[in-house]
Amino acid sequence: VAVAGAGRIGALLADEHRTHVATLDSSGVARVVRLADGKEVYASDVLQQTSPGPAPAVLTVLTAMAVPAQSRYFSAATSDGRVMLKKMDFTVTFQGSGRVVTPDVTPPVFLEVDPGYRPLGAFAAQVDEDGGATAAAILATGRLAVVRRAVELNEMTGETAEALSRAEIDVPGRVTAMVLDPAQRNLYAGTEGGDLLWWPLDGGRPGELKVAGAGAPVTALNLLLGGKSLAVGQGNGALSVWFAVRQTDDTQRLERIHEFPRQPGAVREIAPSQRDKSFLAVAGRQLGLYYSTADRTLWTGPAPLAGSTALFYTPKADGAYLAGGGQNGGQIAELDIHNPHPEVTLKSLFGKVWYEGYDQPAWVWQSSGASNDLEPKLSLVPLMAGTLKGTFYSLLLAIPLGVFGAMYTSQFMHPVYKRYLKPVIEIMASLPSVVLGFLAGLWLAPRIERAMPALLLGLAVLPLLVLLAGFLWNALPRAFRGRFPLGTEAILFVGVLALGVWLCMGLSRGFERLAFAGDFKAWLLGATSLGFDQRNAVVVGLAMGFAVIPIIFAIAEDAFSNVPQNLVAGSLALGANRWQTVTRVVLPTASPGIFSAVMIGFGRAVGETMIVLMATGNTPIMSWNPFNGFRTLSANIAVEIPEAPQGGSLYRTLFLAGLLLFVITFLLNTVAELVRQRLRERYSQL
Amino acid sequence: MPRSRDMKPRGRSEAMGRALTWLCGGALAFNLLLVIAILALLAWNGLGYFWQRDLMELDLRDGRKVLGEVWEVEKTAAVDRMRLKIGNRDVAGLDFAWIDGKDIARRSLPRHAVMLERLEWGNFYGTMAELKRGGKVIASGPDAVWKAFGPLHEKKREELAKIHELEQGGMSGSPAEDERLADRLTRMREQFSAETLVMLTADGEAKEMPVGTVVQALKPNELGWFAKLRVYGGRVWEFVSADPRESNTEGGIFPAIFGTVMMVFLMSFAVAPLGVLAALYLREYARQGFLVRLVRIAVNNLAGVPSIVFGMFGLGFFVYVLGGSIDRVFFPESLPAPTFGTGGILWASLTLALLTVPVVIVAAEEGLAAVPRIVREGSLALGATKFETIRRVVIPAAAPGILTGMILAMARAAGEVAPLMIVGMVKLAPALPVDGRPPFLHLERKFMHLGFHIYDVGFQSPNVEATTPLVFATALLLILVVTLMNLVAIALRNHLRRKYAGSAV
Repeated sequence: VAVAGAGRIGALLADEHRTHVATLDSSGVARVVRLADGKEVYASDVLQQTSPGPAPAVLTVLTAMAVPAQSRYFSAATSDGRVMLKKMDFTVTFQGSGRVVTPDVTPPVFLEVDPGYRPLGAFAAQVDEDGGATAAAILATGRLAVVRRAVELNEMTGETAEALSRAEIDVPGRVTAMVLDPAQRNLYAGTEGGDLLWWPLDGGRPGELKVAGAGAPVTALNLLLGGKSLAVGQGNGALSVWFAVRQTDDTQRLERIHEFPRQPGAVREIAPSQRDKSFLAVAGRQLGLYYSTADRTLWTGPAPLAGSTALFYTPKADGAYLAGGGQNGGQIAELDIHNPHPEVTLKSLFGKVWYEGYDQPAWVWQSSGASNDLEPKLSLVPLMAGTLKGTFYSLLLAIPLGVFGAMYTSQFMHPVYKRYLKPVIEIMASLPSVVLGFLAGLWLAPRIERAMPALLLGLAVLPLLVLLAGFLWNALPRAFRGRFPLGTEAILFVGVLALGVWLCMGLSRGFERLAFAGDFKAWLLGATSLGFDQRNAVVVGLAMGFAVIPIIFAIAEDAFSNVPQNLVAGSLALGANRWQTVTRVVLPTASPGIFSAVMIGFGRAVGETMIVLMATGNTPIMSWNPFNGFRTLSANIAVEIPEAPQGGSLYRTLFLAGLLLFVITFLLNTVAELVRQRLRERYSQL
Repeated sequence: MPRSRDMKPRGRSEAMGRALTWLCGGALAFNLLLVIAILALLAWNGLGYFWQRDLMELDLRDGRKVLGEVWEVEKTAAVDRMRLKIGNRDVAGLDFAWIDGKDIARRSLPRHAVMLERLEWGNFYGTMAELKRGGKVIASGPDAVWKAFGPLHEKKREELAKIHELEQGGMSGSPAEDERLADRLTRMREQFSAETLVMLTADGEAKEMPVGTVVQALKPNELGWFAKLRVYGGRVWEFVSADPRESNTEGGIFPAIFGTVMMVFLMSFAVAPLGVLAALYLREYARQGFLVRLVRIAVNNLAGVPSIVFGMFGLGFFVYVLGGSIDRVFFPESLPAPTFGTGGILWASLTLALLTVPVVIVAAEEGLAAVPRIVREGSLALGATKFETIRRVVIPAAAPGILTGMILAMARAAGEVAPLMIVGMVKLAPALPVDGRPPFLHLERKFMHLGFHIYDVGFQSPNVEATTPLVFATALLLILVVTLMNLVAIALRNHLRRKYAGSAV
């Protein structure tokens, strides 16, 4: 599109629906052009509408122009020492079925930066919704001046009061580019000497200057969505993203976080997206689209116009406009951008990424936040770690209980008991996980919190009690014992264990006083610096272990029972006792079956959703502390997918998590099934 | 002199073996203990929810008085305290309070203490003071009010039922009649709230409420065992038959029961042909080779896939793809508001059908395999074709096995929550999926579910402490249903095994 009569276009922007473009050229004319037919629907000379103090000696022109980051304003510096801000928005009305877009403009606002009315160098300006504005510019003397117009609304009268403040300071080096964040609290500048300068602003007053060396001369500077990340383009073609990082001495410093491949020429323009952390950059004759968080070059190609002077990334991030062309400029090229999931890369899913506001690269899952300029953090690593943690603690309980219980049932128990035991285990398997999760989260968790010492005590006391009970049972006369079927003692142990649990609960306080100085949680924090959450991995381990036990039990019991009788009989005939037969003959023979039982139990624990959802705090943190919560892949899906818009990055990432779960369980189950089939064949040969 | 392992005295190794055996037995016993403990815990808390406890009045040392039901007493060396359900949420703000034993000056069970179950704000504990009609006192004093309250309350409940009936009737269409109806409703509502009851809390604070908003009034301390049992029965009935009140935290869970049952039935319709036909093919028709082995592994694998993954499949395929297409073809007028393109009972049942199909296949295959060869061969020898043999001989003989599979699948479906959370459950469905309006069966509607009810009320409600007892009752009901189904399936399977155990020669 050629804009008739326009000189060098220094700034441009477009409406949300990409029907109109607004341009500002160096002669000071703001135009709005309808893209459909190239017709000019609005034009106004911003410089004519003003009357600066003393009449300018020379013809005033705009020396530099920009669209402040994340705003719908034109800003420009004039050759008579002022900074101009003009609102350039669009309103959309609906007439019938059609959409009518009209420019929504206000007269320009001028801030006098140089009282001497000399031309300005590099500048930056920002304006907020109430009209409070800040302008910073390099004066002809090389000093930096910051002017702030504070607007205060009187709540009672509804009147507004304006207050102007001005500050002037020295600047090290010649500033070539400058940018202000949307909150007007930070001013960044790049110098010819390759330094990045950063002043915090307090009510328009620059604070302590911090300098970071970037190497080559800074040629382009802009802030990405959120106003924290600074995209820096340099004369040697270097393109990078910087943000403030807390140092060890608790001060903040700018650091180069993300780096992109060297560009073919000096970076001329950088335009941020208003949707995500991607940005466009023109360097030499190359136009590129980059995504900051994932260090990702999404696309590069030749710029459609030579000599680009302004670049704009459309509000819906579906296109871009580039101004430039020829000697005089005045041309605009339109680009369509289809950039659906820039934040998802292998690195952002599985690698450590340095996010805004973090001290170092990290694995983080945080898919949504309070404001929409949040940087989505979609690392699956903490979720996978959480899944493994939950699985580990539940298998810690389930494997011994399941396998040894099954071994006892099949090898040391009379079939009479087995007939009743199997249904009990099946009932155990059928208990809905939502009930287990409920019990774990609301009943068990608060009690564990109070009686953690009892649990630890139980680990030692319960086996001892069982041994004691077994010894006593053995001491009974053989004639008496012989009246009961084999394995009766295990039924007795149920009562013994119940007694033991009661005993441990009673001794809990005393044990806590003795071993943990009266307060387990304080002791834990002091001795190991581990925190204690109420809904933690121990609770999950118990509940999920309970859910996995019957699965392991059933398959292991099958494997034990199907060991051919002739092997057992042979071993016993050779003089081995029952225990020796079981450990030396039955166990090795059945071990593949036990392996597959564990695999299937593992698969169940990995995919279990409700228990984890209800019994942990669902905090996606990575730590192996058994007294912390965690979040698993499956619970994460259940929590987030109702909120994820269909087809979006989060939706797809969650489906990837689902695929991951599927693949893990698929592999585990296939291996287990193959092993079981092999085992069956072997049994039939024995 | 060092001894090698094998030369260990036999006695020691035997004792060691015996000790380790006991430990294994301990592991088994611990499993049993866990099952028993969980069932007992659920039964105790779930059944206790309906039991009317005595109202205890405590005079505290600081002069305050507290009236409520004692729910928990903690008495150890360090702590001596009790948890009281004090109700009166509109006065005190909290349903439960911990009272320290050392603060209590006197305990008593006052005869006049009344418990009111209300439509709003939960229970009220206090004494009756006055009964008013249009501002005028018509009875005062605990006994007089109690006597007058009974008949009046009954009348009010009838009026309330009538109002609900009229409201449900909806608009007739003609404006004149609608206006008359509205007028009548307004008059009835006025009349309904004409009589008010003034209650006194234990501290003596007065609270006035319309008689009609009381669901039930009881004097727990005057009730005998038999009367309490009647109250108990009434509450159980209300629990399973009434609609929820106060965003699920009170009242019954009928819609959740209905939703669960209906979803399970819909699922059975989908899963039965799928599972049984697959099993028939695998067992009777397919050549047992590599491919069938592969299919078996796949079926077993399907059983091991996490249920949440099925939920995602249901969401991605059934809801968005199938439902979205149905919306575009049949309900374009209501777009972009989805009709089938959002979670609903149909998609939930289909998702669960996929989840449970391996259960049916495995059980049905087992049932088919148990049919003795002799029976088949006999049929074939008599001239029946293969299809006739399968239809007339094999399937009837395998029916218990197939039924077992179906029951197991239904039990699994009844307890599954995770996939349903994303394909169609809601905490409070405005209408049942079946009603009197054509087409009577609304497959696109969202529904309530017992399992989700547990999750939602137990974890998402603002007043978890007050609702936990109700969740226990719901959990008990769910466990009962699931366990009963499983026991029936196990019994059927054992019967089947015994039946063919001898004849399989």
